[in-house]
Amino acid sequence: MTKSPFNRRLLTVVLLVVYVMATWLAANASLSIQSLVLVAGVFGILAISLDLVAGMLGLYSLGQGGFFGIGSYVTAIAVADLNVSPFLLLPVVIVVSGLCGVIIGAMSLRVSGLYFAITTFIFTLVLTVMATDMQITGGTQGLLGPAFPDFPTGLAWLGAPVAWCILLALLAAAALVWNIRRSPLYPVLLSIRDAEPFAEAAGVRTSAIKIGIFGLSAAMAGTAGWLFSFLGVVSPGQFDWSVSLNVLVMVLVGGINTTLGPLVGAAFVSMFPAVVDINPWLEEVLYGALSILAITVFPEGVVGLIRRQFGKTVQSPVISEDAGAVAPSAVPPTRATDMAGGDIAVECRGIEFSYAVGPKVLRDVNVVVRRGHIHGLIGPNGSGKSTLANVIAGRLRPVAGAIFVKGQQVNGVSPSGRARLGLRRTFQAAQLVRELTTSQNVSVGLYTKIPGIVRRAAIWPLLPSGQRDLGWMTTQAVAALQSVGATNWTERRIGDVPHGVEQLTQLASVCVAAPDIIILDEPATGLSSGEVDHLARILSQLKAQGVTMIIIEHQTRFLLPLCDRVTVLNAGEVVLTATADEVRAHPIVRQVYLGE
Amino acid sequence: MLQFILSGLAIGSVYGLIGMALAISFYVTRVINFAQGQIMMVAIMITATISSAGYSPWIAVILGLLSSCIVAVLSYVIAVKPILAFNRFSFGWLVSTLGFAVMLENAAAYLWGPTSRPFPAILNGYSIHIANAVLTGQQVLAIAVAIVFAAAFELVRKRTLYGKLGVAVATDPDMASAIGGNTTVVAIAAFAISGLFAGVAGILIGPSTFANPYLGSTYGISGFIAMMIGGGTEKPLSAMFGGLLLGVLANGANALIDSQASDWFPFLVLVIILIVTPRGLFSSGGFSFPRLMRRAR
Repeated sequence: MTKSPFNRRLLTVVLLVVYVMATWLAANASLSIQSLVLVAGVFGILAISLDLVAGMLGLYSLGQGGFFGIGSYVTAIAVADLNVSPFLLLPVVIVVSGLCGVIIGAMSLRVSGLYFAITTFIFTLVLTVMATDMQITGGTQGLLGPAFPDFPTGLAWLGAPVAWCILLALLAAAALVWNIRRSPLYPVLLSIRDAEPFAEAAGVRTSAIKIGIFGLSAAMAGTAGWLFSFLGVVSPGQFDWSVSLNVLVMVLVGGINTTLGPLVGAAFVSMFPAVVDINPWLEEVLYGALSILAITVFPEGVVGLIRRQFGKTVQSPVISEDAGAVAPSAVPPTRATDMAGGDIAVECRGIEFSYAVGPKVLRDVNVVVRRGHIHGLIGPNGSGKSTLANVIAGRLRPVAGAIFVKGQQVNGVSPSGRARLGLRRTFQAAQLVRELTTSQNVSVGLYTKIPGIVRRAAIWPLLPSGQRDLGWMTTQAVAALQSVGATNWTERRIGDVPHGVEQLTQLASVCVAAPDIIILDEPATGLSSGEVDHLARILSQLKAQGVTMIIIEHQTRFLLPLCDRVTVLNAGEVVLTATADEVRAHPIVRQVYLGE
Repeated sequence: MLQFILSGLAIGSVYGLIGMALAISFYVTRVINFAQGQIMMVAIMITATISSAGYSPWIAVILGLLSSCIVAVLSYVIAVKPILAFNRFSFGWLVSTLGFAVMLENAAAYLWGPTSRPFPAILNGYSIHIANAVLTGQQVLAIAVAIVFAAAFELVRKRTLYGKLGVAVATDPDMASAIGGNTTVVAIAAFAISGLFAGVAGILIGPSTFANPYLGSTYGISGFIAMMIGGGTEKPLSAMFGGLLLGVLANGANALIDSQASDWFPFLVLVIILIVTPRGLFSSGGFSFPRLMRRAR
């Protein structure tokens, strides 16, 4: 069921024409129908703005009502008191509400989840109280919003100009999010949502992106408020916390992280009172019951449900038993060797680490990893191997000591900063986005290779360079998956693949960026013996290209033959660093680790 | 001075009880029950209806408390359990508990009408002089009841097997059920207790607010602020301290700034406290709220 690009473009044009005709109808409809449609349209923009942060980043903002209120009040007050044109105010509204979003985001996004929801909730509460108590906002009475300027007489047949403005803004908002969903930023955003350590390890500045996207969402909500101020009175009750929650109801009922879901939800919620013509209290009871029912029975929302019923059936791939035996068919991209730091790739000097409570996990650890070496890191469970890997990759800050990557001291550099230095890593427990395909996950690894992914995302599908870059990224991702032996799995979602393929996907997402240094945390866990042999071949190839590797592994039979040097850790201390043969022969190692 | 501190403590103990009710249900399920204020309202409405039908106010109070416990358990069964069964860390409960609150509030407005009804005076008719301050008997009762309930809850949580099972379920439900704890029963018990706390708050505040279907959201938000100020998300008892502080501050703002100050002053306090110490003022112990949330993500 593949549509040709021409058909798809035709479909888009037809849809656009239908939308414009519908807008014309709405603009010429009776006042009651018009206000119904326009309020639904404004809430549609709000719902889209929430879906942007809640659906793609997992940030359940309860502040949309607050930004909405900022937009409305700024417009109403400025037009009433300063008598400026409302159109001049639109950029002001966008900047003010966007800035509020950035500030709130920066305050609360260091932590995610419920804490973020609560902070934004309190923001809305505070704004409602301010709007009620201040003189300038007109108290509980509110303010009368500005009138929308009329069309010039020749264009009167177009109908009400405010209808055109709102419905075209809705189209623009939907298109913006639609574009982002089709840009390479989309897998990056989902990886921030579901697997933040993975995104950071791919060089993504996760905090900055979260704050930026939240600012964009706040600016959209502010724009919705600007539009809303033309529809009549602006009063505190229209922006209180229940509005924020209603917007969330719209998104969840319609279908989170879908293009149409927020629109369906907004239409349902805002038209519900008009369609259901019964006692207003009973109507509210029914509304409450329906939203509970929707969220408990169809947690994916209306659109999610329809998609599941009528969606494309995923073709089951040809699963070859010996996936690991597939010869590498594509060589990872050629690398420009970065000789900074001379002979030493990674150096740890006197690393000490301990958690807030408990004994020291690392004690005076000194490790030198030479360029082009495979450096093994072995030791019993709890000896501090993964902690050392996290310290080198920047997820954990050492209490004392210094880390040098390619000769540069990186103690103050974030994990994503170290990734951009050419240091990539995999995780012991694979951190991937379950709802994306393996190749989409791998393409996250290319984030640093394409400049301006974030800047261009909003108009990505319209850019010729966008299509080209997207094609290049897909090719690279598929090639990387082929080179690690996961050829048959490129179009499968991570949620549907076995553990071994997850490991290979992690490895591919690291290799695709052609890094200088790779840290592998137990790469052979969960692989069959055939796959382990294949992994060893891949690692040898990488070494032949001059990649430096630090590998943590328990399967010494797999690891030791590969290694140039091996460091043995025990109880947070380095027992020795030597060649594989020396390690095998060392009495203490035989005693504490090999168990002889 | 003494007057507004004491009457602040009285209203604060009501905020604290609602805050604890929120915190107790959050503690076990990691869900903020947005219907908590409305559950309090149900206790008030039932008590008022039964006593105005001619029964003894004490029977009315007992039935009112029973009704709030039942409604709280219903809120768990209808609005929380199905969501958690689907995904423990999803935010669907924001919608479902709000939906439950909307249902309760409007059903009450439909059944009883939107106007206020009389509520039994209980101890409101008595007055007690402490130094130069005057408190009604109801205010003294509020402080006493809050202390007793907070202390009893803390004793049960720390000293009994049920309390420890609650801690276990709160920390890791999968592990708790693996060692034989029935997480559903624990959660239902926690919601019943939270309903009891909310109901008690309603009985304490009822004689001065009278019975009105729209009481829920105001007191629900005050209870939420109490929980956040105190740090009740980690330790339900902290919500009580948060409530007492909130009551005194709001009363003090009314007495010292102007008569409308209690509308916005608590929010100012809350914002400052959350900026300075996001975990709340009275929280302590090994794990912080932000860290907990990061883990829960």
